[in-house]
Amino acid sequence: MRRKLRIYVPFALNELKTQLSYRGAFYLFILISTFSSFISYFLWMAIYGSTDKVMLGGLTRNEMVVYIFMVYVTRSIVCISISDWVSEDVVKGTVAMNLIKPMDYRLSLISRALGRSGYQFLVPSVFIWIGLELYKVNVLGMQVTGIWNILLYFISSIMSFLIFVLFDFCVGMIAFFTNYIFGLLMVKEALLRFLTGELIPLSFFPECVQRIFDFLPFSSMVYTPVMIYLGKYNTAELGFVLARQAVWVVLLYLLGSLIWKKVTTRLVVLGG
Amino acid sequence: MKTIKRYLRLYRVLIVQFFKVIMQSKVDFLMGLFGFFFTQVTGILFLYLVFEQIPFLQGWSLEQLIFIYGFAQIPRGIDHLFTDNIWLVAWRLVINGDFDRYMLRPMNVFFQVIAEKLQPDALGELLVGTILVIHSCRKGIVVTDALHIGLFFVSILAGALIYTSIKLFFASFAFWIKKSGPFLQVAYEMADFAKYPTEMYAKGIRFLITWVIPFAFVAYLPASYFLGRGGFFGAGSSNVGVIGIECLIAGLFWCIAYSVFQKGISIYESAGN
Repeated sequence: MRRKLRIYVPFALNELKTQLSYRGAFYLFILISTFSSFISYFLWMAIYGSTDKVMLGGLTRNEMVVYIFMVYVTRSIVCISISDWVSEDVVKGTVAMNLIKPMDYRLSLISRALGRSGYQFLVPSVFIWIGLELYKVNVLGMQVTGIWNILLYFISSIMSFLIFVLFDFCVGMIAFFTNYIFGLLMVKEALLRFLTGELIPLSFFPECVQRIFDFLPFSSMVYTPVMIYLGKYNTAELGFVLARQAVWVVLLYLLGSLIWKKVTTRLVVLGG
Repeated sequence: MKTIKRYLRLYRVLIVQFFKVIMQSKVDFLMGLFGFFFTQVTGILFLYLVFEQIPFLQGWSLEQLIFIYGFAQIPRGIDHLFTDNIWLVAWRLVINGDFDRYMLRPMNVFFQVIAEKLQPDALGELLVGTILVIHSCRKGIVVTDALHIGLFFVSILAGALIYTSIKLFFASFAFWIKKSGPFLQVAYEMADFAKYPTEMYAKGIRFLITWVIPFAFVAYLPASYFLGRGGFFGAGSSNVGVIGIECLIAGLFWCIAYSVFQKGISIYESAGN
């Protein structure tokens, strides 16, 4: 265990350092990343303004505000696209170097993702989160989120992170079969935005579609922790959604191992 | 006249080269196309789900919003198809010193930049846009007299020119700061705001996307004219003037962007050894 930490912790720290050294451009990207949250915010305010209903999709207007910005926070700590790194390694051929080193490629990627996640939590998520709590209490007149909910939210988010990166590792494996996965990553991006509940809470989907979502890992990536944060689950449901997340972590871990074994037996690297 | 002929011939030669590259990797081409197509489709699905809950959004029906959404894709797609190489100026060409090659050839530099690449991914946006606009026309919510149809084509061309100008303007910063990609990206992503009626935004944002980075004149405002809605110049007014302002902005922004680009070229220094 000690040895493992010694090997993989530097990956996380390196990523953190890299991010910290390129701050200039990063601030602009933070700005861009908030655009879609603000568009949703205004759009949802207009939507709630156009109806007499108090609840839409099981959420009140104020809860929707929390939902939109907690999705932003959750996304920036959970959705670290490691498939980008995999495709970069494959296209450049550096993946060969990773294969001959005595370490697990997937674990090194996940450690790196953890570094990125930590950084994105610091800049800017934690500020947006605090800002949201202040706004909630002072402007919307809601209660501060309880410590219990926050704790459960973080437990759930950690599992979400694992589900996401393990899933994304499998997606990244496609890079071994085709050189241009830009288009594919775009489809993935669009699909995830939709299926994880980022674009619209999953409770807006028709009943039968929601049943299907129950059997997919996507709702466990973003929707589950945010709904936990909002306190939308009772104790029994809480146990169920957390258990479901744990099951997905295990399943996707096994799937990733299987694909990795298959892929590495047929890998061809050009150049030297 | 002779120069125009020469440039047309050159463009054809360059583009034919480019098509040869695409033909080598058909799968990539199809995936890119599908990627952009799919991204737009989720935007429409979002609107459908929302309108399951409400009949109107600030007086707009689902069909009308879909038209605005689709219309917004067309100028964006045209610009994306023809001038995608501008992105590389912002991100790579200047800082790497690769821009040298444009300076050496006896051709207009801007022409060389855009002629080097066609972006087939853009067909995904054009496809979605066209399908949605045709769909809206068949629903009969779009005004389709001769004037509107004529102005429709004027508007999408002017819109595409606004896109190109904004891209060129921010990309040209690269000549001073070497890498202007992030700035360009901020400006470009602002276009997403104009896919929806801009009245719903806070005043500051509305002003920004109407007059500073005028994407509202590319998407929402002309689209509302084609839907027969007025009111931009006060209650009861027709919005036909919007198309006029759009053309004016397109011309103005193009002149500014192009002169900044020219100025940038004149101070360009190559990188490397």
